[in-house]
Amino acid sequence: MKFVTAALAVLLPCFAANVGQPDRAKMIGNPSSPVKIDLYSDFQCPACKMFHDGLLKVIVRDYVIPGKAYVVQHEFPLPQHAYSREAANIATAAATIGKYHEVADALFAHQQAWETSGKVWDFVAPVLKPDEQKKVQALAKDPSIAAQVQADADAARKLNVPQTPTIYVSRGAKTYPFPGPDLGNYPLLKSLIDGLLK
Amino acid sequence: MAFSSKPFRWLGLVLRILLGGIFIYAAWAKLKDPWELYALAISSYEVLPLWAVELVARTLPWFELVVGVGLIAGVWLPVFSSIVSALLVVFFTLMVRAFVQGKEISCGCFGGTGDIISKWTLLRDGSMLAGSLLLTWMAFQWRRATTA
Repeated sequence: MKFVTAALAVLLPCFAANVGQPDRAKMIGNPSSPVKIDLYSDFQCPACKMFHDGLLKVIVRDYVIPGKAYVVQHEFPLPQHAYSREAANIATAAATIGKYHEVADALFAHQQAWETSGKVWDFVAPVLKPDEQKKVQALAKDPSIAAQVQADADAARKLNVPQTPTIYVSRGAKTYPFPGPDLGNYPLLKSLIDGLLK
Repeated sequence: MAFSSKPFRWLGLVLRILLGGIFIYAAWAKLKDPWELYALAISSYEVLPLWAVELVARTLPWFELVVGVGLIAGVWLPVFSSIVSALLVVFFTLMVRAFVQGKEISCGCFGGTGDIISKWTLLRDGSMLAGSLLLTWMAFQWRRATTA
């Protein structure tokens, strides 16, 4: 988690202009990088936490920091997860003030705790300043934020995203789905991305 | 009714074209995409080490193509139909195993992003297996009849 945060600090100039633009704020890396990695994830899904805590750092290290790829995160709250939509709404609201990654880190770090207690906000608040907390809390209830989350979920269903996490690796017109990325199958993902970079 | 009779000849022809066509399509579906996608589907069965997954993902689609063309061409029918049956036995067994284990994975039948294993995919592949076993049996009967 700290690694991703450190990587984000390196990439801070890319994010500086993203405040107020949730889509841009959900990106990691430079959007002019040749390969785009779209990530469909659910904050309450254990495999997504594993991806966030493990493989995402590796992807950031190997491809995002060298400027070969950038990651765009999309919300795909699954209906069987009672609090994932609330978490997605809060994270998307935080994106509007440029705090998506901090909130996402906190949500995954305390996934089990808020899944058990149902108090999602309690684990997000500490990473935000008091004025940011007010903004995010208000925005999380805003219909426009809910609509953005729903648009992500609708896009995922349209793509037939088979599971979470699923990533789509693309360059130009070529797009390839890669469901269930993890450290075990990373050599395959790496080979796929390297193939697109050639 | 003798196996050399017209209805059996027609049935054999239909099975050859059907199974051959399916194998050619399956090969094309895998070869049109990067091999890594099919490799991901194979690896999700968790039966092979990664090096073997890569080997299978890179070679099996070509093998399926040759076998499919061989079936449609009708040459060495006992050999090609036996290979198809053997492949389908392996595929079907792995799919049943994954289904019983409750894995929600792509069957990999038509590339890496194919159907998730379900009763429907088992029925489809089971029907193909039954057809290929029948074709193999007929092929050996025809060979026996012609060599007798």
